[in-house]
Amino acid sequence: MWLPVLGLLAGIVLGFLSSVEIPLGVVKYTAIAILAAIDTILGGLRAQLEDRFDLSIFLSGFFANTFFAALLTAIGDLLGVDIYLGAVIAFSIRIFGNVGFIRRDLLERYWRGAGRGPAGEPGRAP
Amino acid sequence: MLGSPHPLRVWKISRLQATLAVLLAAAGFLAATQVRNELLIRQQLRVPSQRLEELGFVLREQERARAALEQQIAALREQLRAYEQGAAQGRARLEVLSRDLERLRVLAGLVAVAGPGVVVELDDSPQPLRPGDDPNTVILHYTDLQAVVNDLWASGADAVAINGERVVVSTGLTCVGTTILCNAKRMAPPYRIVAIGNPAALQAYLSRPGGVLEALRAFGFPVKITTAPRLVVPAYRGGYRFTFARPVETPP
Repeated sequence: MWLPVLGLLAGIVLGFLSSVEIPLGVVKYTAIAILAAIDTILGGLRAQLEDRFDLSIFLSGFFANTFFAALLTAIGDLLGVDIYLGAVIAFSIRIFGNVGFIRRDLLERYWRGAGRGPAGEPGRAP
Repeated sequence: MLGSPHPLRVWKISRLQATLAVLLAAAGFLAATQVRNELLIRQQLRVPSQRLEELGFVLREQERARAALEQQIAALREQLRAYEQGAAQGRARLEVLSRDLERLRVLAGLVAVAGPGVVVELDDSPQPLRPGDDPNTVILHYTDLQAVVNDLWASGADAVAINGERVVVSTGLTCVGTTILCNAKRMAPPYRIVAIGNPAALQAYLSRPGGVLEALRAFGFPVKITTAPRLVVPAYRGGYRFTFARPVETPP
């Protein structure tokens, strides 16, 4: 589980160190894409906790969600209606749902594993 | 999944982790870039990016308005410059014209002038007429006055007036009975002719031997000529008629 966390940290550091400029017109799209990415990552984390994580589902979800969020934003821009707010709300609800599930799952594991040790942590590479 | 020794399982998990790492790195990179950009925008513009579009619209509007105003300013400057030029030219021309006009008015006798000169005083002869004498020999005729005025002009007088009547180019001296008309105005003796010019020259010319004054004195007319450092010749009060003559354009 350390490698993805390392990747995330590396990406953040790179993003802060680099001098890539996001054009003003694209800021909305990247914001929604980031939201989709967070949602997908949390969803993946939850699936991992439920022990039903699947890479292809995860990847397709990541890209499809991001793409559709961007598409929605584009359509909203075209129509002059802030449709992307719908995507923002949907992602936010899912993010909160996932966070809640992860929180409960981790707490349950902690309570259950209080006597048994940290053996229940899934997804760790041997 | 819990620490399975299966080699395929190990490879699969590590591939999964690698993919996740790359994905998360991309997401982190994107998020960090976005945050950095947003911070940069806020730091530089002190405006959150959500309002940028609205502000951009306002800015475009203002820029258009400014361009229009700049054009207006340019037009107004051009106008002002034209006006200033015109005013300067007009002023210069007006100055020349008014100077010309003033000079011509002085020359035409339409302005009262002052200066040194001579005063010639003439009167009818006080000699009593004897029976049989010609009364013409004791009264002044317009020709006498004309002769004096001519002598004054000839000796360089600038302005001449007879009894306060300015002698101008159209002035004619005529005789109606015992009175003399000057500028169609009736005059009666004594006559006081005021001339502005070089006093010495005027006096010398008028008093010359064989001159008109000598002749008048010889006939017994009281003639008095005095010089004065400052005499005033009044302005011509009449009008100029100029009905038929037209200026002729002379080739230079």
